Amino acid sequence: MAHLATEVLVIGSGAGGAVTAATLAEAGRTVTVVEEGPWIDADALEPFSLDEMVAKYRHHGLAAALGNPAVAYAEGRCVGGSTEINSGLYHRLPDDLVAEWQTRYGIDEFTPEALASYADRVEGRLSVAKVPGAPPASSAALERGATKLGWRNVEFARVFSYDDQQRGTKQTMSRTMLPRAIAAGATIVPDCRVQRLTRQGDRVTGARCRRTHPGGGVERLTISADHVIVCGGAVHSPALLQRSGIWRNIGNGLKMHPTIKIAARFPHPVDHGDVPMHRVTEFSPFIAIGGSASRKGHVAMALAETGAPYQDALAEWEHISTYYAAIRSEGSGRVVAAPGLRSPLVTYSLTDADLSRLARGLVNLGELLLAAGATELHPSVVGGRVVHRIDELGSWWDQVTRARANLMTVHLTSTVRMGENRERTGADSFGRVWGYRNLRVNDGSLIPDAPGVNPQAAIMAIATRNCDQFLADS
Amino acid sequence: MLWFEREVVGALIETPDQHLRSSIEAFVDGSLRDMPEHLRAGVLGESVLLGAYVAARRAAGRLDRDDREALLHQLESWEASPIGVLRSYVRMMKSLVVFAENELTVEGAA
Repeated sequence: MAHLATEVLVIGSGAGGAVTAATLAEAGRTVTVVEEGPWIDADALEPFSLDEMVAKYRHHGLAAALGNPAVAYAEGRCVGGSTEINSGLYHRLPDDLVAEWQTRYGIDEFTPEALASYADRVEGRLSVAKVPGAPPASSAALERGATKLGWRNVEFARVFSYDDQQRGTKQTMSRTMLPRAIAAGATIVPDCRVQRLTRQGDRVTGARCRRTHPGGGVERLTISADHVIVCGGAVHSPALLQRSGIWRNIGNGLKMHPTIKIAARFPHPVDHGDVPMHRVTEFSPFIAIGGSASRKGHVAMALAETGAPYQDALAEWEHISTYYAAIRSEGSGRVVAAPGLRSPLVTYSLTDADLSRLARGLVNLGELLLAAGATELHPSVVGGRVVHRIDELGSWWDQVTRARANLMTVHLTSTVRMGENRERTGADSFGRVWGYRNLRVNDGSLIPDAPGVNPQAAIMAIATRNCDQFLADS
Repeated sequence: MLWFEREVVGALIETPDQHLRSSIEAFVDGSLRDMPEHLRAGVLGESVLLGAYVAARRAAGRLDRDDREALLHQLESWEASPIGVLRSYVRMMKSLVVFAENELTVEGAA
């Protein structure tokens, strides 16, 4: 059995963990980051490809929150976490939500102004930029459709940097924060799964891990640490805490953005190498409309959803792009680490209002795409009508049911809520787990509710804020 | 993969290219192995039950053993079933095969 000692143990290397590691290491702390997944060169695999799915996604992307209907979800499992596989969209937390959560959960020092200053710091350390020049055709379609309908839309900035020839590189954590952490002396341990935390009274003393070596051998590793910061994301942070015997307000209240899709066929070719960066904000914060990865495999999957013959459309797949309507759900779910199971059970209950909102989102999205010039719309609804004209969209209202809607999400939050209201939260206003002096959570689990936008910016700003508090406290 | 899972995957694959078929099967097999174990257990259970149902129908002469179209028709009816786990089973298998068939084609051609 191997042993490591460190001052700060950071578990997980995604948006929360990498920011935590870089911030604390640069402040002079001795930091060790353990990551369950492998370290894969960020340039080695084509974005959104099958190879990337196999190498970087947890469970090959094949996980689901059980419920009626089940909601498929995807997470990264590699050094850099989900920042290695997402679209890099960057959106600050809306001010009205910050104010609402501050009141509802009693979160100290959580104001729009305070968070804005942390967002400034994050943006100063990353490259957050819009696409130089004209947007790609798949994104321009969103803008065109929204403009025709008089709907608000915006080109979101992304965590991207651009070279002289306007080639973009996503600023994933393995390209940005983790190299900074390493330069400041942090150690990254990939392929290392934390089985449980070790505790003594109201202190956590470290972690028991299993590290897989490149040759396939597995080694037990114990790590002792003065401070432990769990950053495994909204599914795996609560699961680890539960495996370690910490249950109070941990794992309940899961929130997500359930998403329904349309494959839209245009009379002209559209791009497939990037994800659209325009979003329609007309129905925000309850419904967001945007575009998804649209490689041939994604297009084929989307076309197959209705069950209708799709070979004719697939033959022209270069003309097809996939789009989504995502909702802020009123429902909620749970994460439970069941004894004997390696993977936690995840459940989610959509409300009837959620389904109604999804139907509305689908119809709105259809209207927008037709206005943008699409000639054929395939919804992600079993038996859903393939639509060619606006007067056919009404049929979707009755077709988006629990039995027929095919839903997915990539945004999961709120399983260890932060705040001073102990009835509703699992951690204090700065992520310290109730009942433990040196155990913190610093990832999307802390976000009290689904934000209605990509949560990466919020995760990084809140993580930076909590690190400042940690440094002040300790 | 269980025999019935292999049969479902085989029916869903459209390409006659044996090399590609094997690659798709390997991808689906790897994905099923990598699923959360409770989900995999559920899928295995369904595969056994559905496989037994199909075998019984074949034994009764209601389904031709070598009729791919008949199996696809059966999958189609399960996909529209009011029973959620049945729908999810078919959707998952179909998604895996369709994604792999189209991605591997692209990569193979590249």
